[in-house]
Amino acid sequence: MKKFIAPLLVGAALTSAFGADESLKQEIEALKAQMAELKSAQAKVNVEALKNQLSEVKAHDAGDNIKWTVDFRTAYDYVDYKIQGSEKQDNGIWTNKLILGMASQPVDNLVFKGSLAAYKAFGQNNVANTSYFQNFDWYDSQKPNDSTIRLREAYFLYFGDLGDVHYSASFGRRPSVDGFLANLRNDNENPASPISHNINMEFDGASFKFDFDKVTGISGLYAKLCLGRGFSDTTGAYSMNMNTMGFNPAYINDENNPDMDLAGLIIQFFDNGQYKLMANYFIAKNMMDMNIHGIGGMYMTDPSNPFGSLTAMTPIYNFKDVGDMTGGALSLQVNGIGDGISDFLDDSIFFLSYAFSQTDPNGNAAKGMMGTTTPPYMALVDMPGMLGSTDKKFGSSIYTGVQVPGIMKGQRLGLEYNHGSKYWRSFTYGEDTLVGSKLAARGDAYEIYYIMPVVGKNLTAQLSYVYIDYDYTGSDTFFGWTGTPMDVDTTAGAVKTAQDIRLSLRYRY
Amino acid sequence: MKKFIGFVVSAFLLVGLMSTHAMADAAKGQKYYLKYMKEGAGMNGAKFATQHTQAEWKALFDGKGEKFVAEYSKKYPGLESFLKGDKFEKFMADIKDFCVEFASDSGNVPSC
Repeated sequence: MKKFIAPLLVGAALTSAFGADESLKQEIEALKAQMAELKSAQAKVNVEALKNQLSEVKAHDAGDNIKWTVDFRTAYDYVDYKIQGSEKQDNGIWTNKLILGMASQPVDNLVFKGSLAAYKAFGQNNVANTSYFQNFDWYDSQKPNDSTIRLREAYFLYFGDLGDVHYSASFGRRPSVDGFLANLRNDNENPASPISHNINMEFDGASFKFDFDKVTGISGLYAKLCLGRGFSDTTGAYSMNMNTMGFNPAYINDENNPDMDLAGLIIQFFDNGQYKLMANYFIAKNMMDMNIHGIGGMYMTDPSNPFGSLTAMTPIYNFKDVGDMTGGALSLQVNGIGDGISDFLDDSIFFLSYAFSQTDPNGNAAKGMMGTTTPPYMALVDMPGMLGSTDKKFGSSIYTGVQVPGIMKGQRLGLEYNHGSKYWRSFTYGEDTLVGSKLAARGDAYEIYYIMPVVGKNLTAQLSYVYIDYDYTGSDTFFGWTGTPMDVDTTAGAVKTAQDIRLSLRYRY
Repeated sequence: MKKFIGFVVSAFLLVGLMSTHAMADAAKGQKYYLKYMKEGAGMNGAKFATQHTQAEWKALFDGKGEKFVAEYSKKYPGLESFLKGDKFEKFMADIKDFCVEFASDSGNVPSC
């Protein structure tokens, strides 16, 4: 039996070995074929052509160092005012708002950011002939005007690490419009630098930020020192010297207008993605108001008497330093109420903010206009103090709101309320509300808005309604006599209530 | 004027009916990163997202994000409990969107 089994085993082993050899050969052949294919494919690749193509791309992009973004909105605003002693006024205004965002980063620790903006009413308008302050630098790109493209932001950021402290230094025209909390109603994912409850305006300056989260273990803790100039005292080039009847040297002190400066500290105490607590405190020097030193006359034709004439009065003014101001805010945002209670609450945002302002008049008196009962029915009188008072005046404001998911996915519903006291003064001239800053209101303001994605986040629609019920006048003006709070129920011509319904379509990419 | 406002509001509602469904949200992803992942990863979101290219993030988050969970649980043990929990599965689409939005080749320039 053994003699029979042994040859069988040897035969089986040999057969197996031959089989394995055959399989190996087949695999080698397959590999050879694959290699041949690869060689053939490689041969077809024109490396030189690719190199040329790459060179062309590099040459094309060589000086193209700015990345652009587009934020374009078409809106219809219906504004409506109730005025003490007069009939109500209303209007419908179509606007286009374009913001071109810029960014570049030549190296890891240096960034440039900026934006150019044009915010215009449809067609030609008569704004230049009716408004004294339409192009004021504090809200240049935030109030509809003409098609002029203006500088909204331009600053560089230099950053690095001092041990565990990450820092950044920045100079330029600040990202100071649509900051923390206003970003919700403005549907901006990332808020600009300040707390928008009391600072929301364009200005130039610098900031120095230090992150202390790693050192302290407190999530999101940072401090940011902000410095800015709101008004530059200079004559510019080719100002006329009426004594010598020649030109003054360029860019000397005007001596009629103050340099207006601001220093502020922003502290983010905590931010863990759900709870965010921020505060600011600022000192603003040389606050100003209109100082009317004359009334100019302009001859016009009287339509009822084309051969006669009448004179239109226009104030001739500069700005006078009326004192300093301090202020601050403390703001809490809860992004996701509770933790896992429901999807609705997880996706809801609540915020509460308190802000204050304190004037410090310097005794200067700006000249203001006052109505009289005898011709010419107006007089220029000294108006000393700030906000109509030579005493230090304290003002405060509260601001609260919620933003919750809408009916369909991605939609958002927001409700907001704020109240300002008699002497409340904010720096919110750049707030994106056509009837004037609601957060500056000395009174109550309510807002409801609904945001809908139309084509994802690239095209959105928003419907909003703002209602402001004023208690006192002077809410959104300068810091001297024009900011005097007067009871809207007894002051002729005072705006008692203001409403703004806005429907907008916005493209972003 | 009231008629016109009525027309405008009706147009708004009509636009709502035409809207396409919103996809994942990078901003929400950033929020979830800050809330659930920053401490475990020990870095801010901008730095975290630049660890991979957009294509790499998409590949890591493919399916139910098994590759991402495996790589990042090993890389940052502090993240393991979150990545292997229910919340990650729920928020994964937003976190993925955030990572892709700020990936190393996204072209995004950090704000600070």
